[in-house]
Amino acid sequence: MSLWSPILAAGANGLPYVVPIHPNLVHLTLGLFIVAIAFDIVAALYPLEKPIFKFLAIPVTTSGLYDVGWFNMVAAAIITFFTVAAGFYEIILAEPSDDVISPWGLGAMDTMVWHGVGGVLLLALIVGMTVWRGFQRYLWREDRARQVDWSYLLAGLFIFVLMFAQGTLGAHLGGDFGVHVTADRLIRDGLDPNDLSASTPFPETSLADASPSEAVTTLPTTEETP
Amino acid sequence: MFENLLPPLNNHNLPYPDTIHPIVVHFVIAMVLFGVVCDAIAFLTKNTKLYEVGWWNMVFATISIFIAIIFGQVEAGLATPYAAAAADLNLHTLLGWSLSALLAGITGWRYIIRLKNPASIPVSYLSMNAVLTAIVLFQVYLGDKLVWVYGLHTEAVVEAARGGLLK
Repeated sequence: MSLWSPILAAGANGLPYVVPIHPNLVHLTLGLFIVAIAFDIVAALYPLEKPIFKFLAIPVTTSGLYDVGWFNMVAAAIITFFTVAAGFYEIILAEPSDDVISPWGLGAMDTMVWHGVGGVLLLALIVGMTVWRGFQRYLWREDRARQVDWSYLLAGLFIFVLMFAQGTLGAHLGGDFGVHVTADRLIRDGLDPNDLSASTPFPETSLADASPSEAVTTLPTTEETP
Repeated sequence: MFENLLPPLNNHNLPYPDTIHPIVVHFVIAMVLFGVVCDAIAFLTKNTKLYEVGWWNMVFATISIFIAIIFGQVEAGLATPYAAAAADLNLHTLLGWSLSALLAGITGWRYIIRLKNPASIPVSYLSMNAVLTAIVLFQVYLGDKLVWVYGLHTEAVVEAARGGLLK
């Protein structure tokens, strides 16, 4: 028993709380960043959209659209420090299935390493984009009608691609390797997730009922259950 | 007859690689929460720029929630919920549709407020923001349970359900 075991004494999901925190902060990081870039694009292309907003009877000022691009980006940068921190905490506590290969041909450890490296890289890029955005807003382009350079918007679109790859790796960790998924942990221990107190083994009759073609090799037999 | 037109279901019981609903809800969760925060800061500091940021975030959230519901219904229909998961899935569905009406109503109200005076919002609107935030957070908690506790659409749960082990 280590000094930390009371803190790390986790539920069936391997965490000291009921659902992982990192995927929830990811909603904020991705939502804020993508919408920030999207509104800067809408603002930069406003002359094209003017008739649409007029038809919808929505008054628009481009400065208001650029405000969304700026403040959402600042919020994304702040929140992403917490997203990455929570991600590393939950990677440390991960007990992935090591007999599974992801749809991208990676094992659990490789997927976690790439997702961890990707997280730090994206944090650096988001903070870098925020600083770049701030210089454009307050110094370099202060007196221009278009508050952002086209290269900034292109960089944002490129980061969307990195985020898609990073998000898919994260989806593999939860959906394929079952990291911090309570039901997956229980099933792999031969327990029935209908009983979340984690004490009911799958009845032997159910195992017998499963047709061989559908039976799952990763499902343990009842002799492994406590 | 139409099932033959769809790609075969994969080991997540989906006709496409991974769940899409949890991606679309980024744009509901983040935009509602940040929009509410912007409104609150604007109200307290009189920085009226942030009212505009709050408004546009609510517009984006309102468009997104209907897309989120479409994918949510598709993926709920393919979720093979077992006994323990069914009640939370039903409540998440009911609350999701209700939230679309509430969010559209609040954004419509905001549209009128902004037309009249974009530099101020009434306290009654702010309190509606607080109610909306509470429901969104509870809805996120239910969605978290469906994915991270019940493991719907995860490989292990889909395998167990297909093997007849999980009912």
